[in-house]
Amino acid sequence: MPTKTPAGPAAGTPLMEQGPSVMRRAHHRAPEARRPRPPRRLVPRLLTGSVLLVFLVFFVLPVVWLVLAATKTDQQLVHGNPLSFGSWHAFKVNWDRLTAFQDDAVLQWLGNSTVYATISLVITLCVAIPAGYALAMTEFRGRHTLLVSTLVVMLMPTATLVVPLFLEMNAVHLIGTMWSIILPYAFYPFGVYLTYIYFTTAVPKDLLAAARMDGCSEFGVFRHIALPLATPVIALVGFFSFVANWTNYFLPYVMLPESSQMPIQVGVGSLLSNVPSFNPAVGTTAIERPQLALATLLAITPVLIVFLFAQRFLVSGMLAGATKE
Amino acid sequence: MTVNKPSSSSKRASGNKRAALLAGCAVTVLLTVSACGGGTASTTNKDGFAQAPQKDGALTVWVDATRMDAAKLYQQQHPGVKLDIVSYDGDANGSNYLQTKVQLFNRTGKGWPDVVFSSQNNEASWAVDAGFAAPLNKGLVDEATLGKFAKGANDVCTVGGTVYCLRNDLSQAVLWYNAPLLKKFGYTVPTTWEEYQQLGEKVAKEHPGYLVGDAGDSFTPEIYLWASKCGANHITGPKAVSVNTASEACTKMANLLDVLIKNKSMSISGVFSTDFGKNQADKVLLMPGPAWYGGAVFRDTLKVPAKQIAAAPIPQWQGDGSPSTGNVGGGTWLLSQHSTHIKAATDFLKWVTTDNAYQAEKAPGFPAYAPAAEAWLKGQDASGYFASDLSALSTAASQVWPEWGSGQFSQEAIWAATVKPGITQGKSIASMLPAWQDSITKYAKSNGYKVSQ
Amino acid sequence: MTVVNSSVGSAGRRPRGTDRQSRAGIAFVAAYVLLLIAFGILPTGYAIYFAFTNAGGTFTGFSNFISTAQDFRFMDAVGHVALYLLFWLVSLVVFVVSLALLLHRLASGTVSKSLRFLFYIPGALAGAASVLVWLFMLDPTVSPVSSLLGTLGFHTFGEVIAPGNLPLLFTVIAFWTGAGGWIVVIYGALNNIPQDVMEAARIDGASAWQTAWRVQIPMLRKWIVYMVILAFAGGAQLFVEPQLLSLASTGVAGRDYSLNQLTYDFAFQLNNVNGAAAVSVELLVVSVAAAAVFVARSGFFDAD
Repeated sequence: MPTKTPAGPAAGTPLMEQGPSVMRRAHHRAPEARRPRPPRRLVPRLLTGSVLLVFLVFFVLPVVWLVLAATKTDQQLVHGNPLSFGSWHAFKVNWDRLTAFQDDAVLQWLGNSTVYATISLVITLCVAIPAGYALAMTEFRGRHTLLVSTLVVMLMPTATLVVPLFLEMNAVHLIGTMWSIILPYAFYPFGVYLTYIYFTTAVPKDLLAAARMDGCSEFGVFRHIALPLATPVIALVGFFSFVANWTNYFLPYVMLPESSQMPIQVGVGSLLSNVPSFNPAVGTTAIERPQLALATLLAITPVLIVFLFAQRFLVSGMLAGATKE
Repeated sequence: MTVNKPSSSSKRASGNKRAALLAGCAVTVLLTVSACGGGTASTTNKDGFAQAPQKDGALTVWVDATRMDAAKLYQQQHPGVKLDIVSYDGDANGSNYLQTKVQLFNRTGKGWPDVVFSSQNNEASWAVDAGFAAPLNKGLVDEATLGKFAKGANDVCTVGGTVYCLRNDLSQAVLWYNAPLLKKFGYTVPTTWEEYQQLGEKVAKEHPGYLVGDAGDSFTPEIYLWASKCGANHITGPKAVSVNTASEACTKMANLLDVLIKNKSMSISGVFSTDFGKNQADKVLLMPGPAWYGGAVFRDTLKVPAKQIAAAPIPQWQGDGSPSTGNVGGGTWLLSQHSTHIKAATDFLKWVTTDNAYQAEKAPGFPAYAPAAEAWLKGQDASGYFASDLSALSTAASQVWPEWGSGQFSQEAIWAATVKPGITQGKSIASMLPAWQDSITKYAKSNGYKVSQ
Repeated sequence: MTVVNSSVGSAGRRPRGTDRQSRAGIAFVAAYVLLLIAFGILPTGYAIYFAFTNAGGTFTGFSNFISTAQDFRFMDAVGHVALYLLFWLVSLVVFVVSLALLLHRLASGTVSKSLRFLFYIPGALAGAASVLVWLFMLDPTVSPVSSLLGTLGFHTFGEVIAPGNLPLLFTVIAFWTGAGGWIVVIYGALNNIPQDVMEAARIDGASAWQTAWRVQIPMLRKWIVYMVILAFAGGAQLFVEPQLLSLASTGVAGRDYSLNQLTYDFAFQLNNVNGAAAVSVELLVVSVAAAAVFVARSGFFDAD
C-alpha cells in the first residue's frame, strides 16, 4: 500500500511498503527515542565482534600463510611452523627463480592480463551500464525477452559453449588475436543484471519522468541524472568485470595459441604442472612450491589494488541528491 | 531457445518471435560456415598418409617447460631453421589439452602444430582416430633408427603395426637404495621379492620407522604390480583391453604389499606428500621406483646428500625365468599429419629423440633411444651424486613387461580414486582387487573399450 | 508491487514520450544485444543443437540424454551436486546477509571498510591459484589449523578428504572464495536504503534484529533473489572446487564428482560433445526452473 513519509517525498512507494508498521508507529512513539541505551547492548556488541573475528580469521589465515610461504624455502615450508616468517634471502631466491622461468614469462603474463582485463573492462562498462539502465528505466518492446534471455544465457554451463565460441571466432578470423577473448569477456550479463537491479531499487522513476517533463532528451536524462547516481554500481560492475576477466582460465586456455599471449591465471596453471608434488612425472624440479606461492601472490595483487581503488566509489550509495529534493 | 514466463503481454510474444527468428537465422549461418570449413586441399599420398601441400614457413613445435631446453637447443644448433616454440602444460595432470585443441582444429580445418611433445604415453589411443598423428615407420623415419630404441619403448605408440609417435624417455622401475645405510644395518640388497619381503619384516623389527618402499602414490601399481606381471591393463587392440586382477601375479604382490604396509616398513604417504617429506625423508632404506626417482625425488625433493643413493635391479619372483619390471611415465613426440613442413618436422623429431646433444647431455630422464641412453648414463655416473653406477637402469630398460599398455583411460587416476582411499582407511590391497578390477572395467567401457578377462 | 509513476505518470503516457523512450531504450541496449546474440544466444543455441544430434549432425532425439544418464558416474554425481547445493545455498545466504548486516552496523567506517576488503581477498584467488593454498590448509602435517583438524579427528590429508567430508569441504572452499564478493554487493545494497527509513526504525526503538528482519532484509529482496538464483546455478554447475581438490590430491578426491566435471570429461576426453551438451542442457533446465520459481515468487522482473 502506498505511504509517503513526511521526511522524503521522493523516497517513493516501493522502498517504504515493507515497513508500514514501523513507519506508523514512528508517529506515536517519538518521545521514547531519547532514553539512554541500556547496558545489555554490550552482549550483542561482543557477539558481533566475535562473529566478525571468527570470519576474519577464516578468510585471512590462508592468505597470511600464502604470503609467508613466499618467503620460505621448500624445506621450510614442509618442516617449519606454518605461520613463521622465512627469510628475505629465500624470498629473493624465489623471486629470481620464478622470473627465470621461461625468461620472465611471469611478467609477460601479468602484462597480458592487464591488457585483456582493462580493454574488456572499458567495453563492458560502455555496454552494460546503458543496457541495465534501459532495462530498468525505459519501456520498449522485447524488454522482457531480453531480461529472460540474459538470465537463461547466464545459467548455461560453459563446457559446451567452447566449441561454438571457437567456431565463431574462427569464422571472423579472430583466432590467435586477443580479441578472441576480449570480445567474449565484454559480454557480461552479470553486470547488466547488477545495473538493472540497482536502477530498479535505488533510482525512482518519477525522478526521470520529472527530468523528461523538463524537456531533457533521453540521452540527457541518462547522462545528467542517471549516471551520477549510478557511481556505486559502475564501480561494482567495473570491479567485478575486471576480476572475472582477470581470473578467467578456460577461455584463454582454449583460444590463445601462443604461450606469449597467456594471461597470468593460465600461467599459474602451467607453473602448477611443473611442481613435482602436483605432477610427479615432471622429471625435474623447475618450480618449487614457494615459487608457486609467490606467483599466486603476484597474480592476485592487481585485483586487490583495483578493489581498494573501487572501494571508494562502492559505498557512496544514496547519501546525496535524489531523496532530498 | 529462450525460456519465457507466462505473461499476458502480446508485445512480448512478437518480440519473442523476432528474437527466435533472428537466432534461428544466425545458427543456420553458423552451421553452414562451419560445415564449409573443412575444405579439401589437394593432398599427396606419401610415406603412408595423405600429405598436405608443403610450404615454407616456421615450424610450430609444442613442448612443455622441461622440454623447452630441447627446442631452444635445436634452434641454437640449426640457426637456419625457423621455429615457433609454444610452451604448454604437456598434457599433464589429465589436462587433455592436446586432445581438446586437436578436436577444435579438426572442426576449423587449421591450426595444428607440426611437432608436439606429450608427457603422456597414451596419445596414440585417440590421435590416430582423430587423424592427427602421422605414421612414422612408413617412410619418414628409417628402420635402423627405429630399431635402436629400447625394446618395447615404442609399443605405446604402435597401432596395428604402424608407429605413430616416438618415445622420449623411459621410466623403467629399479630398486633404489641407500647404500651406506644398508651397509650400516648389515643388510644386503634383495634380488627376489621373497627376500625383499623378509627384509621388510626384519627392518620392521630391528629398525622400526625405516622404509623399504612406498605404496601411497597413484603410480604404485605401475611399479609393483606391473613388475609382478599383473594383468590389470593388458591393451589387446586399439579399443580393447583385458583386465584381470585376480591372477596369482596380482594377488601375490598385493599380499606382499599388505604385509609390509601392516608392519609399517612400507609407507602409505606418497613420496611427494608433505607427510613423507617431513617425517620419512631420512628413513628411506630401499625404494623401488622409476628411473627419474634418482634426480627428481632423492636429489631435488628429499635432498638426500650425495654418495648415498644407488640403484639395483628390481627384485623378481623366485623361479621366474623372464625378469620384468614396471614403468611410470615417459613422454612421446608426435608429428602432425596436417603438417605443411614435413621434412623440417621429421628432422626435428629425429634430432630431439636421438641426438646426444639433447638426450644425453641435457635430458632429465633416461632416453628411450639406446645409444643416447648409454651416453646419458655415463653423464649421470660422472655427476658424482650416486653411490653406484646406474647400470641397473640399462638392464631394466629392456625388461619392461610388455603386457601392461597405455589406454585412453588413466590407470593412475583409477587407482587414486578407488584403491588409495581404502588404503588410507586401513583396508588391505588384496581385498580391494575386485573393486579395482570393477572400476577399471567401468572406466574402460565408458571410454569405448571392449573389456575382456 | 505497484508502479509508482502513476502520480506523475501522465507525462510518461503521452504517445510521443513513449515512442521516444522506446527508441532510446533500444539504442541503449543495442550494443549489448549484439554481444548477447554473438556470445550468449548463438553458442547456447548451438549447444542445444548438439544435445539433440549426434556427431554426424543427424537428429537423435533424447538418445544423448539417455546414454549419458547411463554412465556409471552420472547418478552419483547427481547425488553429490544435490547435497552440495543444499549446504552451499544455506550457508551462502545466511552468512553473507548476516555478515553484510553486521558490517553495516559497525560504527567505525574504517573498520567496516577494512573488513570488507579482507573478506574479499580470497575472491581474487579463484581457480588454479588456490590449489596450493588448500593443499596446505587441509593437510594436518603442515596446516596452520592442524590443531583444529586434529580435534576433528583428522591426522592425515587422506583422512581429511575422505568421501564423506567432501560436500562440506567444497562448501567451505566455495564460500571462502565467493562470499567476499557477495558481501560487497549486499553491503552496497544496504547503503541504498534511505537514511530516513533507518532513522525511523531507530526512533521507533526497533532492535538490531528487528530492523534487520523487518526493514532491511525485505528491502534487499531483489538482491537476495539475484544472489540465490546465481548461487543455485553456480552450485548446480559445481566444477572448480572438486577440480581443485583433485589437482591437490593428485586424483584421490574430487575427480568425476560433479555433473559439470562429467560434461568436461565427455566433451574433451571422450570427444562426445553431444553427450556433454545433453548434460549441460539438463543443468540449464534445472537452473532455469529454479530461477523461474524465485523470479515468480519475488516479482523480480517488475519494473519497480
